[in-house]
Amino acid sequence: MNTLRLYCRSMAMLMKSQLQYPLSFLMQTLAQLVMEGGELMAVILLIDRFDRVNQWGPGDLYFFFGLMSVSFYLTEIFGRGLTGNFPSMVRNGQLDTLMLRPRGILTQVLCSGADPRRIACIAVGTVSLIMGSRISGITWSPLKALMMAESVFFSFWLILGLFMVEAILTIHSVKSIELANTLTYGGRSACEYPSDIYPRPLRVLFTVIAPFALVMHVPASIILDKPLFGWPVWTGLVTPLAGVVLFGVMYLLFRKAMKYYRSTGN
Amino acid sequence: METQYRGAVLGGLICQTFFGLVLVAIYRAMYAGKPQPMPLSSITTYVWLQQAFFRMLLSMDTDLLDRIRTGAIAYDLCRPLHLYGYYYSRILAMKMTGSILRALPMLVIAALLPEGWGLALPASVPALLTALAALILGLFCICALENVTMGLTMRTLDPRGVQAMLNLLLMTFSGNILPLTLFPDSWQRVITLLPYAQMLDAPIRLYNGEYALDKVPEVMIIQICWTGLLVTGGCLLWRANQKKMIVQGG
Repeated sequence: MNTLRLYCRSMAMLMKSQLQYPLSFLMQTLAQLVMEGGELMAVILLIDRFDRVNQWGPGDLYFFFGLMSVSFYLTEIFGRGLTGNFPSMVRNGQLDTLMLRPRGILTQVLCSGADPRRIACIAVGTVSLIMGSRISGITWSPLKALMMAESVFFSFWLILGLFMVEAILTIHSVKSIELANTLTYGGRSACEYPSDIYPRPLRVLFTVIAPFALVMHVPASIILDKPLFGWPVWTGLVTPLAGVVLFGVMYLLFRKAMKYYRSTGN
Repeated sequence: METQYRGAVLGGLICQTFFGLVLVAIYRAMYAGKPQPMPLSSITTYVWLQQAFFRMLLSMDTDLLDRIRTGAIAYDLCRPLHLYGYYYSRILAMKMTGSILRALPMLVIAALLPEGWGLALPASVPALLTALAALILGLFCICALENVTMGLTMRTLDPRGVQAMLNLLLMTFSGNILPLTLFPDSWQRVITLLPYAQMLDAPIRLYNGEYALDKVPEVMIIQICWTGLLVTGGCLLWRANQKKMIVQGG
């Protein structure tokens, strides 16, 4: 609990510091809005030309896109320390200072950064979700709302876990981050679309190794009443747990990597 | 510089191949539902050529931005050089080496992929040659455009907002996010005339054979006009900036 309070404190402080330059903050948030809006526009243009992919209509595709935007950028707001700052911390030796303090490394890393500008991307994602829900004519029920909340919650852990792969690789090789991008940013671009449109190897990758399909697509497809793989409704509540499982595995690997860590020193 | 980090180059290559494969898979799935007038192979070729020459679009001269911020640009002003020309050739060199070293292996990988996934052969030998010529003209054009962007960023001290928007325009209308051929047909007439389309889109369409050979003079005239216009505009902008430049820092 103490750790959680520390984290909340740091977040509040970081947000406040970001807001010290309101005009710069506003400009950058606007830029984020335009950028994510551009991504959504690409999806809209594609749908305009092709109408649908397999069994997925326009509304379904907007829904999947929105779910990914909201989850991914939520992770980037609150996990910025890990998703953005960590590699440079290793490279310039700042990580060493963290080892002297009486708190866990991961806690400190997470407390070190926040990126409130991403709120703009979440807004775009929300618009896309509402559009998708309207067009597909989803009939919401408490169960579906719960499923949705659960999916977003565990997506957060999933994406944070994937960014930890990047962190672990950074510790081992200092300069190979682009490779880890295939799982994080590559996973984001790919899984904006339901994973069953992909050929088998990619589908396996996004179900077993980076389980976006289990955490997002299974519950989303059940909410849309078009269950992926024909799975029953209860699976939509169970499969998102894969997100926290992945995070757990990565946490253990991260601790192992920290034992290996040799300072880059200066 | 590029050959010093072999691991990073390899990682980047794997990353780009992966992104390319994902894009191709998406377009393949969409094509399966509703085939389009242009063949699927021309879309996959478009994707791979974009992936291969992606480095050309990326703005790389972060060094100059730093110099503007720190005030080190004052040293450049003391040098007996034409400032615009100096930075133009720097950007040109960076883009050329950066994209050639990335493009060659990428093209080999894309050509080895199975039919319907990878890079198709050019429409004809003359198409390949004119596409190469157009690519070189496109390179001149994008360097000119980047210098205009630089000129604009010199005016604001926190360039991140402006730059992000200009980059989005660049990525969208050069066909990097979505092939320009997939944009609505009614937009095509306008977006193919924009400077962004001259960089990669025009050469790719020549390679695909989507632009017939008799369209070559028209394409190249547009490219040359844009390059001329952007170079002139950039030169004037830089000169105006130099006159009222206030160097930061000490």
